[in-house]
Amino acid sequence: MSDAILVVGAGVAGINCALNAARYGLKVFLVDDTPSIGGMMARLDKTFPTNDCSICIEAPQMYEVDNHPNIEVLTNTSVKKVKAVAGGFDVKLATQPRYVDEEACTACGACVAACPVSVPDELDGKVGGTRKLISIPFPQAVPNVMAIDPACRSGQMRAQGACVGGCAVDCSQCRECPIALCVQACRKEGKDAIRLWQGPASRGVAVRGIVVATGIRDARPPAGLYGYGVHQNVVTYTQFERLMNAGGPTAGRIVRPSDDAHAHRIAWIQCAGRGLAGGVPYCSKVCCMVAAKQAIITKEHDAAVQTIVFHNELKAYGKGFWDFQQKARQLGTRYVRARPYDVVENPATRNLIIRCEDIDSGRLLVEEVELLVLSTGLQPSDRNEKLARVLGIDLDEHGFFKEKDPLLAPLETKVPGIFLCGGATGPIDISESVVQATAAALKAILSGRAGRVESAP
Amino acid sequence: MSPDARIGVFVCDCGSNIASVVDVPAVVEYARGLPGVAFADEGRWSCSVDYLARLKEAIRAHALNRVVIASCTPRTHEPLFKASVREAGLNPYLLEFVSIREQVSWVHRDLPAAATQKARDLVKMGVAKAALLEEGAEIRLAVQQDCLVIGGGAAGMTAALHVADQGFHALLVEREPRLGGLLNRVAAVAHDGRSLPAGEIAAQLAERVTSHPRITLRTGAVIDALAGYIGNYQVTLRPAGDPEGARETFAASTIIVATGMQELLPAGRYGYGADARVLTQLELEERLRNGAVPRSGDAVMILCVDSKNEQRGCCAIGCQVAVKNARALREQGAAERVHVLYRDLSMLKGEHSEVEAAKQAGVRFLRFPDERYPALEERAGRLVVRVHDLLLGRELLLPADLLVLTPPFRGDETVQEIKGLLKVSASADGFFQEAHVKLGPLDFPSDGTSLCGCARGPKTLKESCEEGIGAAMRVSIPMQRGFVEAAGIVAGIDLSECEHCGQCARKCPYGAIRLDEDKTPSVLQALCKGCGLCAADCPTSSINIVHYTDAQLLAQVEAALEEDAAHKILGFVCHWCALGGVDMAGVSRLQYPPHARLIRVMCSARVPIKLIERAYELGAGGVLVAGCEFPPCHYITGNYACEKRMQRAKKQLAKKGYDPEKLWNIWCSAADGPKFARAMHDMVERLGLAREVGADGR
Ligand SMILES: Cc1cc2nc3c(=O)[nH]c(=O)nc-3n(C[C@H](O)[C@H](O)[C@H](O)COP(=O)(O)OP(=O)(O)OC[C@H]3O[C@@H](n4cnc5c(N)ncnc54)[C@H](O)[C@@H]3O)c2cc1C
Ligand SMILES: Cc1cc2nc3c(=O)[nH]c(=O)nc-3n(C[C@H](O)[C@H](O)[C@H](O)COP(=O)(O)OP(=O)(O)OC[C@H]3O[C@@H](n4cnc5c(N)ncnc54)[C@H](O)[C@@H]3O)c2cc1C
Ligand code: SF4
Ligand code: SF4
Ligand code: SF4
Ligand code: SF4
Ligand code: SF4
Repeated sequence: MSDAILVVGAGVAGINCALNAARYGLKVFLVDDTPSIGGMMARLDKTFPTNDCSICIEAPQMYEVDNHPNIEVLTNTSVKKVKAVAGGFDVKLATQPRYVDEEACTACGACVAACPVSVPDELDGKVGGTRKLISIPFPQAVPNVMAIDPACRSGQMRAQGACVGGCAVDCSQCRECPIALCVQACRKEGKDAIRLWQGPASRGVAVRGIVVATGIRDARPPAGLYGYGVHQNVVTYTQFERLMNAGGPTAGRIVRPSDDAHAHRIAWIQCAGRGLAGGVPYCSKVCCMVAAKQAIITKEHDAAVQTIVFHNELKAYGKGFWDFQQKARQLGTRYVRARPYDVVENPATRNLIIRCEDIDSGRLLVEEVELLVLSTGLQPSDRNEKLARVLGIDLDEHGFFKEKDPLLAPLETKVPGIFLCGGATGPIDISESVVQATAAALKAILSGRAGRVESAP
Repeated sequence: MSPDARIGVFVCDCGSNIASVVDVPAVVEYARGLPGVAFADEGRWSCSVDYLARLKEAIRAHALNRVVIASCTPRTHEPLFKASVREAGLNPYLLEFVSIREQVSWVHRDLPAAATQKARDLVKMGVAKAALLEEGAEIRLAVQQDCLVIGGGAAGMTAALHVADQGFHALLVEREPRLGGLLNRVAAVAHDGRSLPAGEIAAQLAERVTSHPRITLRTGAVIDALAGYIGNYQVTLRPAGDPEGARETFAASTIIVATGMQELLPAGRYGYGADARVLTQLELEERLRNGAVPRSGDAVMILCVDSKNEQRGCCAIGCQVAVKNARALREQGAAERVHVLYRDLSMLKGEHSEVEAAKQAGVRFLRFPDERYPALEERAGRLVVRVHDLLLGRELLLPADLLVLTPPFRGDETVQEIKGLLKVSASADGFFQEAHVKLGPLDFPSDGTSLCGCARGPKTLKESCEEGIGAAMRVSIPMQRGFVEAAGIVAGIDLSECEHCGQCARKCPYGAIRLDEDKTPSVLQALCKGCGLCAADCPTSSINIVHYTDAQLLAQVEAALEEDAAHKILGFVCHWCALGGVDMAGVSRLQYPPHARLIRVMCSARVPIKLIERAYELGAGGVLVAGCEFPPCHYITGNYACEKRMQRAKKQLAKKGYDPEKLWNIWCSAADGPKFARAMHDMVERLGLAREVGADGR
């Protein structure tokens, strides 16, 4: 039987699953289909309910994963094929090129300075962050090396006129781009780490068990919801998280996208889009706490900023959560139980005028704020459908992975030997993700033991 | 300095990253002249495969026995260089890392002269420490394959099964005559639209436990005594409720605590305790389970009784339980009308469908304002609940033949006792405190001890079982490996001066220091995390930390302040957060004044007052101690200990006639580069240190 397991998705759940199994003595293949491990936590500022800094607690784990002799980290990698065999699975993994030699690149940044093309950073959304076409996802990324956006290599950027060269051939055919400034810069630094001709690679691994930890993504608001996408100063809670973050695009200054001015009056709308077409239909569990966190941190940055949270049901389901929400109140955050109707922009100030019904009093409320944050909830990874097909396991109606029997066999799927943890199971916070990840590690360790494995459908 | 020290210094250009600001050849030349240095070299890319080969070759060729690397940051690159040093046949603890990219070239881009001076100083400090470095080794403690599980509810049973399924042995101790815990009282367990009789789930688990060849089960038993540490516990059991009963003794290597929870009975609230018509949810469940609910016309449930107030938070499962039971009352025909009075319905999974199903079954939901709880009246022998309905905006009177209260929960009454036995902490409501809410949710601070289920806090059955499996995972790591291991950075006690005050044992956050009968301390090094808190607070300086000895730190302080002390800031930064902040300032290329000479410690709690005093004596322009932000420190409470000590330090300094305002203390997260940079600007400005910047003629 193989002494290895495969963990798909390297957010905090996948990382903790891998660490437990590796410390136990198993070999772990930890794959993520983005250029760095870390998942959502790598984007967060502080984390409820204790407000310790997210990257401070996650980065040491990321480095440990990277340096652990039992763990092989495969980024830009996805699961292509899975076959159940006696004692486990044969898995085919496909790695997309990052166009940079992982061993040779030292993350010196010379190429980044040289690259002429900036695009909006998907991490930061519209709050002002940009990145170059060659970039590192975030400073603590693991592996700590650059990656070139496939948009550059496919010639897409040239088609958009972003490239200076007048080459006749298609970029993707070209082995040695004469105008690739990054290559020149890298060579000038005495390195030669860029591999414009890198192609996809695939490899097979044999494992005894598989843990799916593909996590969550923040839901995008339905078009036009409360002025999102129409008015510049309406942002999502993930974008706001980036604004607060000292490592984010504004170095932690909470400013408005429209004019980069300090926001003095900020509102949150909870359950934004919930139940609407294009919104999430379920409670995402964490948003009430995220809003409390964001309000607290906003107040800590500047106690004079006014903060209002428009909410319906308020959840405080975990240890210390209630006290945390009370702290937000004590710091002066106004909690209003309200049903928002609409949001219009004051064209002169770019402020937002929120009209809503105060549920407790039944009265119409009108509030004007400088920045509006939409708590839109959590959605499953958009790659789940594909992965479910490859693994032969089911998704629930929302696109999260389905447990075979949550009550009697938690974290197990219908295929013996394949387990779930973290956001892959549904909306979840960090602590619960770590609990499940720890449990799933043991499940995977125990799977494939004599007589346990039946063949997958 | 060890007389035979042959130190090799390797200074990196990092391409142009360092070399374009720092005069690297000058630093190398300077290093060659330092005491103990036998070799110094400039590397274009020190971390490249070819340079690492050259480094190993140099170690061998020049018989080097200490290595100083001056390059990027130990937070990312130390493991790599450690491995190379080891491959060259040298003990990896003989390596010292100096950060001249993140701390110098990236942050003093426009001050090449000052940057070069700072790089020289940092190298000098590194060499001074390296000369005193000693070999270290990972420390192991043997662990057998047997685990004690306390509590035989769903969590404890699941944990024991998962321990035993690996081939290990589990001793499961349950106080009651029967396994099952809450599952012996609850009627049906509902989850996400499904429901199963609790008795059935308990029976299934209990059957697997009792038939498992590697689980030793003791029901009707409690812990009489528990002594030892991971790998070496002795457990004595006695019959529950019989202090004189026969003792039985077992050995165990690891421990899982799964003692569950109980309802916090709402004595005196809404007539509870005096009126038989008033029940708690759990009491109702027992009656539902036995089909013993008296038929009634009107039933009323009140949620959040004694929850979500000054004393405690949300009970986490009350809403879910109430919705389930309200529906059961209707579906079993036990009540004509059921009203559920709530503040916020805190339902999570399947919220909509469960509430809808209850509504379908005829349950009515009524929201009352947070600050206006329903009141109970008695009218003509009938209970009547007066409630303000938020939706209608007026008061209603609801008759109640059955009134069900949803109280909060508390840990088992034995928590106090177990707290003492395991030296762990618990909340006011008797729920155990985990090592780290987010990343160590199932761990107690001491290795090999774990917790799970409702003993941590109220939760659903699924979550309790997941935690049971997870706790089994945590304790199985050392059982599978056969040992626990500490990195070589550990405490050691020299007993010759020890006053047997016992402070160190009391203060160690990990229970790594034990006292014997005459209060003589000894370190269980395999449990020590090397934070250094004990060492810094020991009144006789009897404790030292490998790789961070008093002498090594002192050598760094003295090297830093040998020249021009009045214009320097001597800083201590913790490895995990503050140094992360320093690195982040570097990566972000934040420019700040070049006055700081930073010394890395694992935890801010390592810094003893005497070192700070020494820096004052040497005339330091300022002293900085920087640690993790509150609340959680990498070493649980290190930052708290540090903060207290800094306050003491200021008093002591003032008494000795020094200016305490020169001692700064910041708490900086690893993401907060701006905070560290700001602190540098502020210190320089407020302490009037600006001169050095003039070195570049600015
Ligand atoms: C704005 C915001 C604030 C939050 N604040 C907090 C907080 O303060 N405290 C708290 O406890 N929680 C918070 N959360 C929730 C927290 O982010 C999640 O609980 C946590 O990230 C879940 O971890 P995970 O590893 O399961 O998923 P993720 O962090 O999402 O990681 C999943 C990983 O899997 C990868 N992946 C996805 N699909 C595939 C695939 N098919 N193949 C390979 N790899 C794949 C992704 O690239 C990603 O790296 C917040 C969430 C948001 C959106
Ligand atoms: C009224 C009610 C309704 C519920 N309904 C649902 C539901 O519908 N769905 C759902 O998912 N969950 C439900 N739950 C939650 C579920 O019952 C619990 O999550 C689960 O049973 C907890 O298991 P546990 O092992 O952690 O604790 P417990 O069941 O409390 O077990 C702890 C055990 O430890 C023993 N013990 C304590 N101290 C000692 C000691 N010192 N020495 C030896 N033994 C000791 C106790 O006797 C007990 O047997 C409900 C809970 C309640 C109270
Ligand atoms: S220039 Fe080369 S070595 Fe430097 S970051 Fe870019 S790819 Fe890596
Ligand atoms: S090829 Fe040009 S556009 Fe593409 S990453 Fe390199 S420098 Fe940027
Ligand atoms: S009854 Fe519901 S809202 Fe009230 S404390 Fe319990 S779970 Fe929270
Ligand atoms: S703190 Fe120091 S003096 Fe006191 S017991 Fe411990 S080693 Fe001895
Ligand atoms: S160094 Fe820290 S963990 Fe080690 S014995 Fe001292 S206080 Fe305990």
